Amino acid sequence: MLRFALRRLLATVPTLLVVVVISFALTRLLPGDPARAVVGDQAPPEAVERVRAEMGLDQPLPVQFVSYLGGLLRGDLGTAWHTGRPVLEDFADRLPATLELALVSLAIAVLVAVPLGIASAVRRDRPIDHFSRVLGLVGASMPLFWLGLLMINVFYGMLGWEPAPLGRIGQGLNPPTDITGLYLLDAVLSGDVIALGSAAAHVIWPALCLATGTLAVISRMTRSSMLEVVEQDYVRTARAKGMPETVVVGKHALKNAAPPVVTVLGLQLGALMGGAVITETIFSWPGIGSYVTQAILANDYAPVQAFTIISAVVFSLVNLAVDLVHGLLDPRVRHA
Amino acid sequence: MRKQLIGGAAAALSVAVLAGGCAANANQDSAGSGASSLVIGYSEGGSVLDPAEANDLTSDTFVYAAYDQLVQPKVEERDGTAVADSGQFDPMLAESWETSDDERTWTFHLRDDVTFQSGNPLTADDVVYSFEHVRDSSSASFMYELANIEDVEATDEHTVTLTLSQPTSLLLPLVSQYSWSIIDSETAEANGGAEWLARNTAGSGPYTIEEWDPATQAVLQANTDYWQGAPQLEQVTMKFISEASNRVQLLDQGSIDAAIEIPAKDIETLQRNEDLAVSSEPSNRILYFALNTEVEPFDDPEVREALSYAIPYDQLVDDVMYGQAEPLRSALPSTMPGHTDSGNPYSYDPDKARELLREAGYEDGFEFTFTLGSGFQDWNDDAVLIKAALEDVGVTMNIENMARQQFLETIKEGSAEAFISKWTSFVNDPGYHLGFLLATDASSNYGHYSNPEVDELLDQARDEQDADKRDALYAEAQDLITADAPWLYLYQYKQVVVTSTAVRGYTFYPDEIIRFYPMSKEEA
Repeated sequence: MLRFALRRLLATVPTLLVVVVISFALTRLLPGDPARAVVGDQAPPEAVERVRAEMGLDQPLPVQFVSYLGGLLRGDLGTAWHTGRPVLEDFADRLPATLELALVSLAIAVLVAVPLGIASAVRRDRPIDHFSRVLGLVGASMPLFWLGLLMINVFYGMLGWEPAPLGRIGQGLNPPTDITGLYLLDAVLSGDVIALGSAAAHVIWPALCLATGTLAVISRMTRSSMLEVVEQDYVRTARAKGMPETVVVGKHALKNAAPPVVTVLGLQLGALMGGAVITETIFSWPGIGSYVTQAILANDYAPVQAFTIISAVVFSLVNLAVDLVHGLLDPRVRHA
Repeated sequence: MRKQLIGGAAAALSVAVLAGGCAANANQDSAGSGASSLVIGYSEGGSVLDPAEANDLTSDTFVYAAYDQLVQPKVEERDGTAVADSGQFDPMLAESWETSDDERTWTFHLRDDVTFQSGNPLTADDVVYSFEHVRDSSSASFMYELANIEDVEATDEHTVTLTLSQPTSLLLPLVSQYSWSIIDSETAEANGGAEWLARNTAGSGPYTIEEWDPATQAVLQANTDYWQGAPQLEQVTMKFISEASNRVQLLDQGSIDAAIEIPAKDIETLQRNEDLAVSSEPSNRILYFALNTEVEPFDDPEVREALSYAIPYDQLVDDVMYGQAEPLRSALPSTMPGHTDSGNPYSYDPDKARELLREAGYEDGFEFTFTLGSGFQDWNDDAVLIKAALEDVGVTMNIENMARQQFLETIKEGSAEAFISKWTSFVNDPGYHLGFLLATDASSNYGHYSNPEVDELLDQARDEQDADKRDALYAEAQDLITADAPWLYLYQYKQVVVTSTAVRGYTFYPDEIIRFYPMSKEEA
C-alpha cells in the first residue's frame, strides 16, 4: 500500500510539469500587457517598456520559464504584481476563508446528497425519487454565477434572511480569536457565541451556492450505485434473514455502494475549486478565489499560475487518497 | 472505546471554550458601528498606495485620503452641490506662491504648522523628495516632463523654488493632482523608499490606511491630529464589491452608506428609495467614436462630417444611458476649463448625412469594420443603435467584438478602422487632454488625426499664462477639431454617487475620485 502510494506520488510529477507548462503558456497567451496594467493608460510607451524590463517580461519566453521553474523548485511561487507581495503569503492569508467555505459546502453536499441518494434508490419512482432527480438536474445545470446572484437577490434583497454579502462576519464585529483561521471553529474554541452565529450566517449562503453542483452529482451517483447494490442477492438474503431495513441499507448495501461515490467526490473537488472562484467573487468572500479573480483582471501572471498548479497538486493528492480509501472499502482492489 | 473517545474530545472542547470565553476581542452583545463611520462600495480594490504609481480610481482615492498636495482645486457651490471644476486653485500645503516675470521660476511658500502622520514636520525637503519621486516613477514621470521642471530646490525650510525649462499653464493643475502628493521623506527613506511606499503611506492627509485587502476591503482611520482639523468621519470602510447588482442591493437595503459605479438602469429604482440621495454630475469621462483618418473613406473629412449628422445623439443619452450622461459637444468635456461648443453644428439629421455622402461621392454608401471592446454594456448598446442609424443613411457597419485587453492592444496598434473609446483626464486641462488624444504625436491618438494648425494652437496655448488668451486659443483648436470631425462625439458620462441621506458633505470632483475629508454622517 505504501509502495503504491509512493509510486502514484512519483507519477504525479510529470503531470504537474505539464500543468506548469500549460499554465505558464496560457497566461502568456492571454491578451493584455501586465506592464501597461501596472503603469496605467495615460503613461507613455517608454514607461511601459521600463516596467516591462523590471518585471523581466522583456526576456525571451524560455528564459522566463526557466527562471520561473527554478523559483518553483525552491518553493517560490513568484510575486503578485497587483499586491506587491509574495504569492505564497497572499495565499496563506486567504486559505482559511476558502477552506472554511469549501468544507462547509462539502459537508452540506455530502450530508444532503448521500441520504437523498439512498432514499431515492430505496424508494425508487416514489415522490422522493422524483424530487431528487429534479434537484439533481437543476443543480447540475444551473450556472453558479447566476445562482449566486439569484440567491442574493431573493434571500438578501427580498426576504432579508441572508446577511449582507460583505465577507465572513457581520459589519462591526471582531473576527474570533485567530487559532485556525476557520471562523466557525475559532468561534467555538474561544466561546464567542456572537461571532459563531454571525460567521455561520455568513458562510451558509455561499456554501449552499457552491454545494449545489456537487450535491447534484453526488446524489445521482449515490442513487445509481445504490440501485445496483440493493438488487444483489446478498441484500435479498439479508432481508430474508429478517435483518432490520436500516441495517440492510445503512450497513450492507451502503458499504458496497460507497466506492464509486467516494471516487466522484474526489473528482468533484476540481469543480469545487473552480466554483470557489466564482462564488467568492459574487459573495465578496475574502478567499483565494476572489484573489485569483482580481489577479486575472489585473493580468497578474504569478497568482494565476500558482492557483492552477496548487489546484492540480491538491487534486492529484485527493484523488490518490480516494484510491487508497477505495482499497479500504473494497478489499478486492487493495493494492499490493 | 469509541464513546470514550468522543467523550474525551467533548471534554477537551468544553475546557477550550471555557478558557477562551474571556478572550480579549470576543464580541459583546452591544457591538455596533458608531455614527461617524462610513461604509462605501467600490468595484475594484486598488493596486498600489504610492502616489506616483497610482492610476486607478480606488488607488487614487487612497492617495487623496492619506496625502495632501501643494495646492487644491477650488470648490464652489453649484445648484446645492459642492463642485470642484473651475480651473482655480486654493492653497493647501503651500499657503502662497508666486511666479517670476518670465514665468519660469515658481516659488511656493509652505505652511509652517503642518506635521505628517508620523509627527515629522513638513519641510521644503519633503517637497523636493516628493517631486523627485514623481520624476523617477513609472506611472507619473511623464507628468514631470509635461511640467517642464528643470530643477526643484529647497530655498529655505519652508520655501520651494521650481525652475521650468519653459513656462507652462499646466503647472498648477499638475501639482494639485494625486501623483504630486507630498511624502514624508524621512519616514519613507527610513523604511526603504519607493518599494515601501507601494504598500504603505507616509502622508500628512486626513486618513491613515489601517487595513487593505484588494479582494475585500480597506479600512481608513481618521488622523485626529490633521492640520486642517480632525475629519468628521472617524472611520471609512471601502468595500470592494465587483458585482454592480450587489452594490445596488446593498445600498437599497441600507447595508452600506454609499457606493459608486452604479449601472445607469438602476438609478431610477434607487431614486425611489427615500433613504438614499443620488448625486449625478457630468464628469471628465467622455465617450467618442473614433474614425481612422488614414483609412479610406474616413480620410475624407466630408465623409466624417456626414457621419456626424447620422448619429442619434439624444437616443444614446436617453435610451442607452437612461439620462446618466449628456451629449458631448466638443473634444473637451464641458467640465474642463476652456471648453466651448460654439463651433459644433452637428445634430441628428439623416437627410443632411445622405446629402453630404452623395457630395463626397458615396451615394451608394460604403462598408467598414467597427471594433467593439467588451466590458461596458453601454458601448454594446451604442454600437447597435449606431449601426442601425448608419444603415439608414446607406452605410454598413460590421461590428467586430473583442475582449477588453485584446481591444486595447488592437487600437494601440493603430489599425482599427473605427472604434468607441472612453477617456478621463486626471488633470483638468485642455492642453493635457488634447495632448494625449488629438495632437499629431499624441500617445493615445489611435485614429491618427493630424492637423498642423491644431498642433500650433496647442503649443501656443501651453506657453500662454493669461487664462483668457489661453482659452481663446483652445476654443479655436476645438472648433478646428470639430470641423475636421476625427471623432463622432457621443457623450460625457455623469458620475453617479449614491449615498444614504444621513451622509453630508459629498463634494464632486470631475476626476471622479472621492475625497472623504469633507464628508460626515448624521446620527441615525
